[in-house]
Amino acid sequence: MPLDILVIQLLNGLVFSLLLFLMAAGLSLILGLMDVVNLAHGGFYLFGGYIGLTMIRWFGSFWLALLIAPLVAGALGLLLQVWFLRRLQSRHLDQVLFTFGLALIAADMLRWYWGAYVESVPPPPELDGSVLIMGRQFPVYRLSLIFFGAIVGVALMVLLDYTRIGAIVRAGVSDSELVSGLGINIDWVFVGVFVLGTALAALAGVAAGPITNLYPGLDFEILILALVVVVIGGLGTLRGALLGSILVGMTETLGKAFIPEFSLFVIFALMALVLLVRPRGLLGQKEA
Amino acid sequence: MYFESVGNTAGGRKIELVTDDEGEKPDEALKKARKMVEQDQVDLVAGIVSSGVAAAVRGFFDETQSVLIIANAGANALTRAAKSKYIFRTSFSNWQPNWPMGAWAYENVGKKALISVPDYGAGADMLKAFEFAFKAAGGTVVEKQLTPFPNMGDPAPFITQISNAKVDFVYAFYSGAAATTFVKAYGSFGLAGKLPLVGAGFLVEQDVLPSQGDAALGVKSGLHWALTLDNAVNKKFVDDFKKRTTKEANVFAVQGYDTARLIVDSVNAVQGNTKDKAKWIEAIGGVSFDGPRGKFKMDPKTNNVVQSIYARDVKKVGDTLQNVVVKNFGEIADPGDDSKG
Repeated sequence: MPLDILVIQLLNGLVFSLLLFLMAAGLSLILGLMDVVNLAHGGFYLFGGYIGLTMIRWFGSFWLALLIAPLVAGALGLLLQVWFLRRLQSRHLDQVLFTFGLALIAADMLRWYWGAYVESVPPPPELDGSVLIMGRQFPVYRLSLIFFGAIVGVALMVLLDYTRIGAIVRAGVSDSELVSGLGINIDWVFVGVFVLGTALAALAGVAAGPITNLYPGLDFEILILALVVVVIGGLGTLRGALLGSILVGMTETLGKAFIPEFSLFVIFALMALVLLVRPRGLLGQKEA
Repeated sequence: MYFESVGNTAGGRKIELVTDDEGEKPDEALKKARKMVEQDQVDLVAGIVSSGVAAAVRGFFDETQSVLIIANAGANALTRAAKSKYIFRTSFSNWQPNWPMGAWAYENVGKKALISVPDYGAGADMLKAFEFAFKAAGGTVVEKQLTPFPNMGDPAPFITQISNAKVDFVYAFYSGAAATTFVKAYGSFGLAGKLPLVGAGFLVEQDVLPSQGDAALGVKSGLHWALTLDNAVNKKFVDDFKKRTTKEANVFAVQGYDTARLIVDSVNAVQGNTKDKAKWIEAIGGVSFDGPRGKFKMDPKTNNVVQSIYARDVKKVGDTLQNVVVKNFGEIADPGDDSKG
């Protein structure tokens, strides 16, 4: 393989890794801090993507779409958490069933409103071009996703590790009674986490839209990819999700480039291997 | 739409519809087909989108001598090795839209090709048909790229590999979401307009073309229909479809429309007596009419449709993209065996 092609493939891998991180961050957050496997995560992703598409059609601005879609999805997340999910706290099987049901309902509603045809999301005009990398054309939008993913990742880590809110959330996870005893309403902490997680899913839906397009069934494709990333990286650590994303993204991209016939299988082989060697995932503290 | 246009009657009998979704699971679909035939006592079942489902229900229809009309599933085998007296196909065999493109691409596009298809039955059928005809014309297939099915995921690694191939053009078969993903990435990595893209018509059919944008410009494809096909029946069909759904028609709608007409015509021919199966089946095999895709007739040898295949080129007409017909290959009948790919 010539050097220029290898470089482009590695870059493809990096873009896909950051894309995966965006897709998985919300799932990882909710799972890690609330202990809820949100199987409707893909639904929120697709919902966000479609809301973004409608915003672009109404107002002609990708940036506005990127802002509004997470707000709408977050608001929906808020209602779901307050009305339903909160009642199921620490009932794991019920939570899984609830979010799975939600995913199925979402899939039907999205198909009903936005139709069954594939829709493409136009990238913002400022980023809709290509640059030459070692003499080969590479889309600018894909390059900018690397930066966008990194910014989101850093922002989340700062929020969780270096702010008061982050400290409260982390304390709530390890000992919710103690936190309540300090006069903090732990319920609202969890509501906040769920809203942030669903908003992140929607943000990813808009940001990745120009790459993945939007169509019925994408929700479950994304859910599976995000679950693989979270399982490999370790349950509920954001750094784990980032590491998992890079591993999966690189493996899948290079697998497609070198052994296309087996590319569907390589990331699951990777997951099986990680689970055999480290059942908690690479950076996980809890049992998978 | 067609049933309504004939007042929902055929051969003096009222047409009653029992509908269900075949889903994606072949065994579930078989249960549903069994229910329709045994419990609802339907005269015939029409539909079947997936070749997997078609293969699963084939045995049931053949054994119980019940009539099945396949309106989409393209697996060659369904009207070849696995054909049945009771099973007809009004859509296409995977071989049909690809085979004529082999010689055409050799003459009009280039001598060396890379073929990219999803790694499943239809992909293999389409690849084989094109490769057979392209090689017979003198062309060389330099590389074959098999991509994961049903989800291609990020297409970038495949497109990058393609950009490295020393070929005159790329021949591809993708449909639905994968077609849009593939064609758009082909454009954003700068291959569109530089390395010609040719394929089976589903790649740029009306269901996906509007979402592909200018990346689809200049894509050449073979199919048994085109929105712009210049005949009176097609013009009326396209108009009626648009009035009813506010959308442009597509090849799948044409297949449904023609299937309805085949049912009505054959039931008319036996004056509504569908109990005399032998006569009715003969009537189905003898159906022939001018439909939106041009001349439509059944081939009693294979029970597959005989139809014109058109080479089409995506061009900008006004401000919309359209598949403009550049050549009519005339009537193409599936060979009924694997002798031609």
